[in-house]
This record gives sequence, C-alpha cells and structure tokens, in this order.
Amino acid sequence: MNGLLTSAVAGLTAGGAYGLLGVCAVFTYRLVAVVNFTSAAIGTAGTFVLVVLNEAGIPLFPAVLCGLVAGVIAGVAIGLVMTKWFAESNASTKAAVTVALLVGIVAIGLRLTGGQHPHHFPDLFSGSAMRLAGVELTISSLLTIGLGVAFTILADVLLSRTRMGLHLRALSERPMAAELIGVPVQFLSILVWGITGAVTAFSLMIIAPQRSPDFMSLSLLVVPALAAALIGLFRSFWMTLIGGILIGVVEGMTSVIGGLNQYRGAVPFLIILAVMLWLQRGARWDEAR
Amino acid sequence: MSRMVVSELRVDRVHLPVVREVSLSVESGQISVLLGANGAGKTTLLEGLSGVIPVAGGKIEVDGHEIQRQRPGARVGAGLAHVEQGRTVFRQLTTNENLRAGAASASDVKKAYELFPELLPRRDVLAGLLSGGEQQMLVIARALAGRPKILLIDEMSAGLAPTIVRRLMTTVRKLADQGLAVVLVEQFAVLALAVGNRAYVLRRGKIVYDGACAELRDAPDKLHQLYLGSGS
Amino acid sequence: MKRASFRSASVIVAAAMVAGAIITGLLPGYWTYLATSVLISAVALQSIGLVAGRTGMIALCQMSFAGVGAWTVGYLNVGGAPGNLPVWIFIGGLAAVPFGVAIGLPALRLRGINLAIVTLGFATAFDAILASITFPGQTKFIAVPRPEIFDSDGGYFIFVLIFYVFLAVGLEFLIRTRLGAIWLAVRHSERAAAAHGISIPGAKLSAFAISAFIAGISGGLLAGYLGTLVADNFNMMQSLALFAVSTMTGAQFAEGALIGGILAVAFPEILRRLNLGQDIGNVLFAIGATQALSAGESMSETLRRKVRGWRKAAPAPLDAGARIAPPAAVPLRHGTALSTRGLTVRYGAVVALNHVDLAVPEGAVSGLIGPNGAGKSTLIDAVAGFLHSYSGSVELAGDAVDDQPAHVRARNGIRRTWQTTRIAPELTVGAYVRLAGGEMSDAEVQAILNWIECPHPDTLVASVDAGTRRLLDVAGVVAARPKVVLLDEPAAGQSYEETIKLGRHIAEIPKLFGCAVLLVEHDMDLVRAACSEITVLDFGRVIAAGAPAVVLEDPRVRKAYLGIEEGNAAA
Repeated sequence: MNGLLTSAVAGLTAGGAYGLLGVCAVFTYRLVAVVNFTSAAIGTAGTFVLVVLNEAGIPLFPAVLCGLVAGVIAGVAIGLVMTKWFAESNASTKAAVTVALLVGIVAIGLRLTGGQHPHHFPDLFSGSAMRLAGVELTISSLLTIGLGVAFTILADVLLSRTRMGLHLRALSERPMAAELIGVPVQFLSILVWGITGAVTAFSLMIIAPQRSPDFMSLSLLVVPALAAALIGLFRSFWMTLIGGILIGVVEGMTSVIGGLNQYRGAVPFLIILAVMLWLQRGARWDEAR
Repeated sequence: MSRMVVSELRVDRVHLPVVREVSLSVESGQISVLLGANGAGKTTLLEGLSGVIPVAGGKIEVDGHEIQRQRPGARVGAGLAHVEQGRTVFRQLTTNENLRAGAASASDVKKAYELFPELLPRRDVLAGLLSGGEQQMLVIARALAGRPKILLIDEMSAGLAPTIVRRLMTTVRKLADQGLAVVLVEQFAVLALAVGNRAYVLRRGKIVYDGACAELRDAPDKLHQLYLGSGS
Repeated sequence: MKRASFRSASVIVAAAMVAGAIITGLLPGYWTYLATSVLISAVALQSIGLVAGRTGMIALCQMSFAGVGAWTVGYLNVGGAPGNLPVWIFIGGLAAVPFGVAIGLPALRLRGINLAIVTLGFATAFDAILASITFPGQTKFIAVPRPEIFDSDGGYFIFVLIFYVFLAVGLEFLIRTRLGAIWLAVRHSERAAAAHGISIPGAKLSAFAISAFIAGISGGLLAGYLGTLVADNFNMMQSLALFAVSTMTGAQFAEGALIGGILAVAFPEILRRLNLGQDIGNVLFAIGATQALSAGESMSETLRRKVRGWRKAAPAPLDAGARIAPPAAVPLRHGTALSTRGLTVRYGAVVALNHVDLAVPEGAVSGLIGPNGAGKSTLIDAVAGFLHSYSGSVELAGDAVDDQPAHVRARNGIRRTWQTTRIAPELTVGAYVRLAGGEMSDAEVQAILNWIECPHPDTLVASVDAGTRRLLDVAGVVAARPKVVLLDEPAAGQSYEETIKLGRHIAEIPKLFGCAVLLVEHDMDLVRAACSEITVLDFGRVIAAGAPAVVLEDPRVRKAYLGIEEGNAAA
C-alpha cells in the first residue's frame, strides 16, 4: 500500500506539469480558438535552449531565463502564423495546421539537437520539501502544482475581472468584430501565444529530467496535456489542472504494479477514452451542434 | 468637422474585381446612402473601407490622411467605425460587456444607454439571447461607444420589422445631425432615401448614380431604371 | 454516375499497366524497389485521404493501424497460419477495423477536434505497447515470405501495384455511391447532412473503419516489402508526417495519394544523396501542408481546377431535358400531416416559442409568417429535431416524434431546408439530389431538376450560382417525397421574377410529390401566391391563422407587422 502511495506521489511532478500544460492548452483554445498540438514542442524548444546554454557553461539562472525567452519566441512565431493566415479559419483547420507545424518543428528540433544524442538536463529543483505520512514530497512536485494553481487563478481573474480579459473574450468569439471596435486583437493574440510559450517552456524544464530526453518524446507530451484539457472540456481551468494531476498520479502508480510500467505511455489514451465515454453517458447523439 | 474621401477604389474578392473605380465622399452631418441590387458590391465596398478585406487599388482619405494600407484596427483609430451586416454581437458577453468592450470610458457606455434606452433593462442579458432589433441597436451602440467620426452601417434593416427599422433610421438621422458622418448601405431604397443626403447607386461594382437623395426620392422611375438597367 | 466510375477506373488500370511495364521493364532494380515503397505509401495515404480529406476528420494514427495490419501478418507467418501473403494482408486489414471502430466510436459523437486527440493518444499508446511486445519474428529474424512468383523486387512491385489498383478502383466506385456523397456532405455541414436523414456517427464510423482497413493493408504490404519490421516503422511521427503529406497533396484523390507517395519517398532519397538529414523532408511537408490549408486547396484540387479550366466543360444539352416530362402527379392524402401541441422553447430567460399549436394539413401549402424574431426558424428547428430541448410535442401524421433525433425524423418524413444553402460544392447536382432523395433512376432525377429548372445532373455544384443552389435545396427535399417539407425562406436573395416562379413551383409540390409544405417566408407576394392557409407568429405566439386574404387583413397581424406603438416592437 505504501509503495503504491509512494509511486502515486512520485507521479505528482509529472501530473503538475501535465496540468500546467493542459491549462495552457485551454487558455489558448478559449482565447485564440486553437487546439494547439505544438504546445509541448514550443516548450521543448525553450528547454533545449536551457540545456545547450547550461552545457556551454552558462549558470543555471540566466540559462533558464534564456530558455523562457526562447519559449516566448517560439510561441509568438507559431502565433504569427496562426493570426496571419488562419485568423478566419475554423477550429478544425487550425488544429490541422498545428499538427502540420508539429511535424516540421520536431524535424528541425531533432536535427538541431542531434536526434537521440544524450544531453544533460539540469534538475532545476531537486531535493525533498517535506515528508507526509512517510512519503517524500519533492520540491519540484509541489512547485509544479503550486504553479498550476497560481496560473489557473490568474487566468480566471484575468478573464472575468479585467478589461484585457473582456477584450480577450470578445476576441475569442469574433476576432474581426473585436478589431472593428478597436480591440487590439493582434497584440492580444500574440500576447496569449507568448504567455503560453513561457509557461509551457517552464513546465517542460521541470519535467524533462524525468523523461527520455529527446526532442520528439518531449514534444509528444502534448498528448497528456490535451487529455487533461479534455477532462476540463477545454473550458474549465480547474478541472483541467485536476485532470492533469490525475493522469500523472495514475502513470506513477503503474510503475509499481508488476509488468505495467512499460505500458505507462498508454495511460493518457486510456484516460481520454474513459473521459469520452463518460461525456456521452446517456446522452443521445444530437445533431444540434 | 470630418471628411472621408474615397477615390478610384478597387476591391477584389478571390481575385475578381467586385468594386471598381469607386469614388465617393461623406462628411460630418451628412448621410451618404449606398444603394444597389443584391451582389452589386455594397458590402464589399464597406469592407474595403474598414479594412475587413484588403483594397486592391485607389485611395481612402480621412481628414487628409490616407488609410487604405492600414489594418482595420488602425482605421478605427482614424475615426472609422463599421457596423457589419448580420448583427455581429458577442453572443457570450452580456449587453453591458458588449458596450464596454467597445467603449473608451464609462461615460460612453452611459451615452449608449441614453441613445437606446431599450437596452438598459437588458444590460445583464447575454447578447446572444437578445431579439434581432435589440442586437441591431447593440451593435450600433457598441460602434458609437468608440466615439467614431465616420460610421459605416451595412444592411441595418435586414430582417427587422418595419417599426424597428423606422426607429433606427430616425436615430441614424439624429446622429448625423449631431455631427457624425454616416455611410448607410441599404437594399430598401425608400427608407434610406428618406433620411439620407447624398445617394450613390452601385451596379456591378461601379457607381452609376451620384446625386442628392431628394432627387432619387422624387423620381421613382429613375431609381427603377438605375436598379434594373436602361432596358426596362 | 456509373459511367464516371468506369471511366476513372479504366484510367487507373491503364496508367497502372503502363507504369508497371515501364518500371519493371526499363528501370534499374533500385528504382523498382523505391517505386514499390511509393505505392505502399500511396496506399497508406489513400487511407488517410478517405477519413481526413473526404470526411473532414483529423486522424493521427493511420500508421498505428498499419502497424496492426503488419503485426497481424507477422503473427500469421510466425504461427504458420494457412494461406499466403495476400490472404494474410487481407486479414491484417480486417484486424485493423475493430481498432478503428473502438477508437472512433466514443470520439465521433462529439466535437471534431476530439478525434484528433484520441487518435494521437492511440498512436502514443500503440508506440509504447509495440515497443514492449515487439513484432512477431523480430527477435528471431523470421522474415515474412513473399509469394514465389512475386519474390523479386520487380515481382513484388507488381504485387503491390495490383493491391493499389484494386483499392484505387474500389475507392473510385465507392466515392460515387451515396455513401461517398454522404461523406462529403458530413464534411461540409453535419446539420445539413442530418437533415437528409443521414446518421452522422454512422457516416463517420464507416469512413473511419474503411480507412483503418486500407491502412492495415498498407502495413501488410510493408511487412512483405521489408520482411522484418521494427516498431519505428509505425511510430506516431510517421502518422503525423502522413497527415501532413495527405493534407498537402490531397490524398482523397487517386492522383493526390500517388503524388504524396512519390514525395514521401523521393524527398528522403534526394536528401540522403545530398548527405542532408532525411528528416528535413518533414519540414517541407509541414510547410506544404500549411500552405495547402491556408489556400484551402491541396495540390490535387489545384490540379483538377486547372484541368477543368483547360477543358472548359461543354454546356449541358438543354433540349434533351426539355422533352422529359415533369414528375407525375400523386394522389393527395387527407388529414393533418404535422402538428405541434403546446410547443415551447426557452433560451435562458427569453421565450422563443410560447405554447404554439400549429397544424399543417395534408395536400396543401401552409405559410408561417411573422416579423423577424417571432420564432419561425426556432419552430422549424424544433420540429425537425435540431434543438437540444423543448417542451410540448410534435406529431407527424398523429405519431409523436419527440424522442427521435433529427436524422430519424428526416427518415420518417420531416425534411427541411436552411436559410443559407449548405450543399457540399464538390458534389454534382445529380449526386446531391440522390443524396437527399435516396436511390432513384436517372429519369426521375432529371424530371425533378427540369421541373424546378436546375442545371444538368452532371454539373458540379461549385459552378452553380447561389440562386440556383436555393432551388436545388428545394429539389433535394421534395425528391425524398417526405410527408412534410419545411422550407425556411427559400426566396431570400432571389429576384422578384425568380420569387414568383418559385412560388408557382412550391404550390405544385403537394400535387407532384405528395408532401405537405410549411413555408416560412418574408415575401408576402410569394406567400399569397403559394399558400392556401397561413399562421402568424409574433413573439413566439400564434396570433392568427386561416386563409391568407383574411389573415393578412387581420388588425392584430397588421399591428405586428407595421406596428402602432413604437416601443413594444423592440421588447
């Protein structure tokens, strides 16, 4: 039992990162109406900037900062493509574009980082924060979850309380009508892309040391992120955060159940399937959409 | 005093010229009425003016500044407001939030309610749940909340009951009298000619009539001819 | 229809024979080897073209389905199953189908994006599983044997070519059936498709299942091509790249799949020869796909448009149509075709329909009028099953239909049109009539089109003007000969003369097609010309009903339309 608990807690760091990535996905979807398959790839780009600079002897803190800036730049670059050419497209086309871009980004990323060539990923926050019922809670797990909570609160407040939030909501519904009443739509869209770029980069930096450290595997963390967003129905930040943590915890628990560990990668898929089935409980198909 | 002068404007849609060498002008206190059959290019012309679609040639000057290369947002800064056809309210926002999104200050929101008191009891209702007439009032009020100098209104009367259309026409006249320059696109000529100053008739993307509204109003034959061509 | 299928099929077969002769006869062995790879990619691309390009769903696990096919072939080989490679490949294709159904079933009912997420999730999961279970024979180097006569590189090329031709020809026939039209309709507008009686989950699932089958085949072909396989052959990046290529070239078309296959093989090959990284090919596919998405047109669609431009299709013979008689009259039914009782619809605090009782008699055209916002379109939505909820009841010929979803109501005899036309532009006029009306003879299709003065059945909807498409909407609903036809402002955007003509056609519908008609319209001339009785809605309530001449003079109706107190009208 204790073993299960330990491994569940071990999944918290990953879970927090999934939640944070998921919240970013919901943020992007709600505000600029894009289901963004490149989000984790954007974060991965930022993380590799950190790794490369760190390997080159630059101290951790400035390297992290550069990594975050790189995340912002990557996010803004994708955002520019989306706002310049696909502002008027439907959600499905936009998603297809990000899938296509993901293919390109991963190819470039693998090329620049030398494919499976091993890199040293600095552990940003190592060590244990506290012990709870005999189980160790690491700093990074507390930090990712704390960050997830903070970002969720901030996003909620921003949207419902501020003028910028009002503009963002107007923008998300009718970009052209918003622009025609003087809402600075381009600036706001790019801002959203920049913010999510920084946050995903930070999430990836925290989770990268625990993963197979190549560009492709990290970019594909978009799967648990979108699974989390799906639990939040691409609407609720809180449900997304909780969903992300849940996925991490379930993944962690597979490590102690004999023989299941190697199938850890299937966890997000099974959770997605379960959510889909749950969403349809008793509901008849309605063509009203 | 504000003045918009459009010269030799060309706007394309999917590489086909829809608006060709259109020249027109409007100034404070005036309503310029843009008439024409379905597909004549009226909406495309307005969209070219406000920047919804890019302009392929010609000039748009507002108070002497050329704006035809600017993005829609920048043209708003130059004093333009465009009320699109189809009542483009933000459906998920309340009436009040719709107004606030377009307003520079709280007093502008207040003024909007003074102009359309019908909206006040509906202030906390989601705009998607308003009636057609209320939505039309809301989009006009929202555009005005940004204190434009030039207001472009597209198909204001489409699908509204005649009472509401008359109510809106009267309001537009009042706004012009207070110093706004208005370009009014209408399919129902008679209603618009009753409140307008200058009339333009568009046919296949070109202006085929440019003159006083009163002249067209008093000569229904001429209007009929301009709409349907000289053969009929 | 059939003729067009045979024409395309014979083009494919002829091209395949020429290509087969040239490639096996004239090119060096290595080129033949590469050409085989092109064809296998083309098969995989056809599978994704069907689901993504034709039906408009984002599917990101095609290579996993291929993996299922390949694994099955390997398993049958190692297990010494009876039969030989072609049989195993076929079984491999079938094995992929349940996977497709299991993944598709929960996703297809909800928003389109969900399928993209589920399929990507499946691809990751499949990667993880494949990495640990490995391919049968992988560790012991047991290769999948090719059939003896196809054992050489040239021979196996022919083997793959035969599969490719079979699939391509099959697809050419399939896309011209009603199912093919259904897929396009679903891609264009799910609501409009449901209004034709199409089950959306059924349509999507059929596309997804067939696509999984084809993908499974491509995996089996790859197993025979490479002999032994590793998990990496089917990893999710391959699926994503396949999606990019198919988007770029338009893999829903035979030529698009082939071009895609060529690019997918040629790019890495060229890059390899230039000593550049082969993965850079993916960057080009990403750019190409993004470009295609922003232009709204894939390579094959551009190509087809250009070819159409060069050929300048000959104008359809008009006189041939003029000789065809209009549809024969049918005996009129009596009684009430459709009725609503206490129909009430609320949107939040707004009551859009307030206890509406309405009866549409058989054999006649009834009008539904009222000022804008009166609830006319809401009533049509409620009756046809397009609202999430309403209270009260809707009865079709006396039977309540309230628990039936929209497509079931459509099949049972409630058909509707939309205020803006929603016909998939890729269809021909004739295919649209069949889509809406079900299977019928060429003469019947022609008769309906002539009656309402629509162009020749072979005309592409994309080349039909907006006014004529509205007529085509009407042609579609009556072709189904339902019990009731609901027409939502069919004259909007038409000229006066066209409106009058349309009014005459609408008046003939009960006599010619046996349908009762409920006509929602703003144009009073049309209403007077077509309707034998009318109902007036105002603010969600019925304020008058009866003969047009009487109702339109009713002071309450005049007040609703012309207004006396200004303030009330906006409330």
